Amino acid sequence: MFNDFQLPLTPPRASSFAYEYDLLFWYISLVVLLGGGLTIATMIYFCFRYAAKSEPAQTPRLLGSTSIEVTWTLIPFLFFASFFVWGVRIYSNKISAPIDVPEYYVVGKQWMWKIQHPTGQREINELHLPLNRTVRITGTSEDVIHDFAIPAFRSKFDVVPGRYVTTWYHPTKVGKYHIFCDQYCGMGHSQMVGTVIVMNPSDYDAWLQGLHVSEEGKNPVDGSASWEGKKLFLKLQCNACHNADGVGRAPQLAGIYMQRRPLQGGRDVLADDAYLRESIRDPMAKIVDGWKPIMPAYPRSQVSEEELLNLVAYIRSLRNANDLPKRYDRYPAPVGAPGAPTDEGGLTRE
Amino acid sequence: MNKTIPELDYTPQMVPYPEPTPAEDKNRVHYLNVSDTVWSWLFTLDHKRIGILYLVSVSIFFVFGGIAAALVRTNLLTPTGAILELDQYNKAFTAHGTIMLFLFLIPVIPGVLGNFFVPMMIGAKDMAFPKLNLLSWYVYMAGAMFFVWQLFVGGLDTGWTLYPPYTSQYSHTNVLYAGLGIFITGFSSILTAVNIIATVHKMRCPGMTWSRLPLFVWAMYATSLIQLLGTPVLAVTVLMLATERLFGIGIFDPTLEGDPLLFQHLFWFYSHPAVYIMILPGFGVISEVIPCFSRKNIFGYHAIAWASVGIAVVGFLVWGHHMYIAGQGFYLGMVFSTLTMLVAVPSAIKVFNWVATMYRGSIHFAPPMSFAIAFLFLFTIGGLTGLHLGVLGTDIHLHDTYFVVAHFHFVMVGGMLVAWLAGLHYYWPKMTGRMYNTFWANVAAIVVCVGFFLTFAPQFILGYNGMPRRYPHYPEEFQILNILSTAGASIQAIGFTMPAIYLLGSLVFGRPAGNNPWHATGLEWQVPSPPPPHNFEQIPIVYYPPYEYSIPNGLKHVVIHSLNGNGVHSSDITPKHQEVTSGS
Repeated sequence: MFNDFQLPLTPPRASSFAYEYDLLFWYISLVVLLGGGLTIATMIYFCFRYAAKSEPAQTPRLLGSTSIEVTWTLIPFLFFASFFVWGVRIYSNKISAPIDVPEYYVVGKQWMWKIQHPTGQREINELHLPLNRTVRITGTSEDVIHDFAIPAFRSKFDVVPGRYVTTWYHPTKVGKYHIFCDQYCGMGHSQMVGTVIVMNPSDYDAWLQGLHVSEEGKNPVDGSASWEGKKLFLKLQCNACHNADGVGRAPQLAGIYMQRRPLQGGRDVLADDAYLRESIRDPMAKIVDGWKPIMPAYPRSQVSEEELLNLVAYIRSLRNANDLPKRYDRYPAPVGAPGAPTDEGGLTRE
Repeated sequence: MNKTIPELDYTPQMVPYPEPTPAEDKNRVHYLNVSDTVWSWLFTLDHKRIGILYLVSVSIFFVFGGIAAALVRTNLLTPTGAILELDQYNKAFTAHGTIMLFLFLIPVIPGVLGNFFVPMMIGAKDMAFPKLNLLSWYVYMAGAMFFVWQLFVGGLDTGWTLYPPYTSQYSHTNVLYAGLGIFITGFSSILTAVNIIATVHKMRCPGMTWSRLPLFVWAMYATSLIQLLGTPVLAVTVLMLATERLFGIGIFDPTLEGDPLLFQHLFWFYSHPAVYIMILPGFGVISEVIPCFSRKNIFGYHAIAWASVGIAVVGFLVWGHHMYIAGQGFYLGMVFSTLTMLVAVPSAIKVFNWVATMYRGSIHFAPPMSFAIAFLFLFTIGGLTGLHLGVLGTDIHLHDTYFVVAHFHFVMVGGMLVAWLAGLHYYWPKMTGRMYNTFWANVAAIVVCVGFFLTFAPQFILGYNGMPRRYPHYPEEFQILNILSTAGASIQAIGFTMPAIYLLGSLVFGRPAGNNPWHATGLEWQVPSPPPPHNFEQIPIVYYPPYEYSIPNGLKHVVIHSLNGNGVHSSDITPKHQEVTSGS
């Protein structure tokens, strides 16, 4: 019931996180108001109580007191410590996005937000979300640093070129709310605004249908990010090495998402979005144990940020080894790659 | 043989210089009239004259920065920008930020009050390196010229934070000129810092032990440590930025295999301590003013002194709290948040000690005290709202909104600038020998405080509602609060204009201030106003801690007498002066 309570001059609360956030915000604010108010009130009281009289006054020679100093060091410190502990909980909650929920991609670009739904629909400066469904957001930038902020969700993260940042939303109130770019990004910084539209799930599905251009096909869904990624995967001939045949030139990609991967040198790494992204942009950065560093890098001139997001979405969608397309000789291996046997059964073979 | 035991005695120990008669005063040689050619000012090695050079130049740049602020606030009157185009607005707020920070807030108190009063407070005739001192002003002016130059050839639109890759690859404005300006003015503050550290270590007069240093000197010392250790990092960072921009060598730009977060780490490694470079001298001034006008010893001298040093040290380790949502990682964020909570404690300690100093005092509402009270009020708000931003959870929503803008203006303007005004009003009679109109000065303190609060309090609400900073256009629902804020800014502008009028007017119409108009205890108040060219005719000897205001009639804490004489140089010691005969 407090979820609907809104003080004047405060922003709407439209996500489950906003409620948790506001509890901490108002806890800190109350402590600060009381502590600061007490200090200022004491000062004002002293100003009146000890204002100079006409005759010269004899003031006591008070030099300080260790016990008082310790008291007013410890009390603020304990309150600050409580802020810190609660703040860490809130923060870790916000950055721990669940991985088994629909994922939306956000790409910042001077000066617009490009948004892609998990089912493939694209929007610019608008984000339609279903009510009461947890969604995962992954963001990056094509040029400079931007910041994807939705005040009604109390949510904000810098989208940094060359990195993926992830958060999650769980909208709880139907309505339209602001999207702002909060990191200064040049002339059109204040034009880089948009609207997030929270809809009832049925409305949302209808809205999706309105945009959805359906084609024949199987999983992954036509037009979805992973479908686009699969087309790119084939176009870039990734399956020449990363294939289901197990020829032994490159790691098998199915099922690796969110697994720990052993690296050369004994460390291991979690195969999350950021790792997949880095392994495409800069394959030499981390070499999986047992494989040769032979993969070419794919700079932005070859694979744009949006395309890269699609590729990563595709790799994520690969659950078992059969999902990975087999290689076939219509798409020869990259120059310099070891020779490969021919076979039948590529997915796009006619 | 008679021997004084001053440790047991809290009666007045100082034989001040006699107040000069008006006739004597006319003929007296002091640092202002010792020579009056332009060259004697431009090539002066006198720390007091260098302080005046700084005073004139920082005041000019304050006007520049203020005009830029006026443009910004006026433009925000309407949701689509009242007077400026988008890029003009970006250049206006960048000019406001860079000029106010690099050319005003950082040099103002160290350059003016630090130069002028640190040697006088510790009983020295000048700084340790007078020529270096003059060089620091020239270096500062050289750097400032690049800032002024880039303003006239098109300005800069990156914000004072200069985040790449925008700054290194995308901005079409004068990044290199401004970078050069930052680079050069940085050396000026390094030179000042070296000088103050050496002066405090080597030039203290006999008896001026570390625990007898006025707290202003402690604050300046802590500030200088930060400047010395932090500023080179900024220079290196700007140099790397220039390398990337000029030669395309990838350091920060991810398309060149650089890391944009590296810049933020390096930049804030300097720029967070830099806010302490700005505020610590303000703390120092307040620590001088409050005991004087409360007629009380400062409460918790050691706590305040060590809080300054504590802030200087821990302040170096909290830079990452500017980057909680920039993608620096959860565990880094936790470390920086912990340290931020720690660094908040010494500031709280200081405020409590200042308020406690007023307890059972005899409070005189002279203009410096009025400004100091305004400082306590505004700085408390500014400091406490910093907690919202230092806590990991709450920063998520408030980061880069007007909440941040309001917070740092409360600290930098409500704290630092008001402290500077307190210091300027406190020391103006000593620096110029003239007393200004105290009535109008008190009115100015109230106008500044009210105008300031009206400007920035609405911005906390704007920030919590999500209005991002650096936005020339904004949603319409934010307009009323923005109009309030601009109205407050206009009142502030009046408040800042008033001191300019009555302070300058006092040079012509002001009555002579006398040696010690505030009956203060510090060494600097025991010499005539304006001070003689070499401050002290005889080397003072200090027997007492500062701030002995509670002694009956006791206003001064030092004995000034000749090193060669064996005892007090005048017979005019009060009868209560305690003496014991050796052997008895």
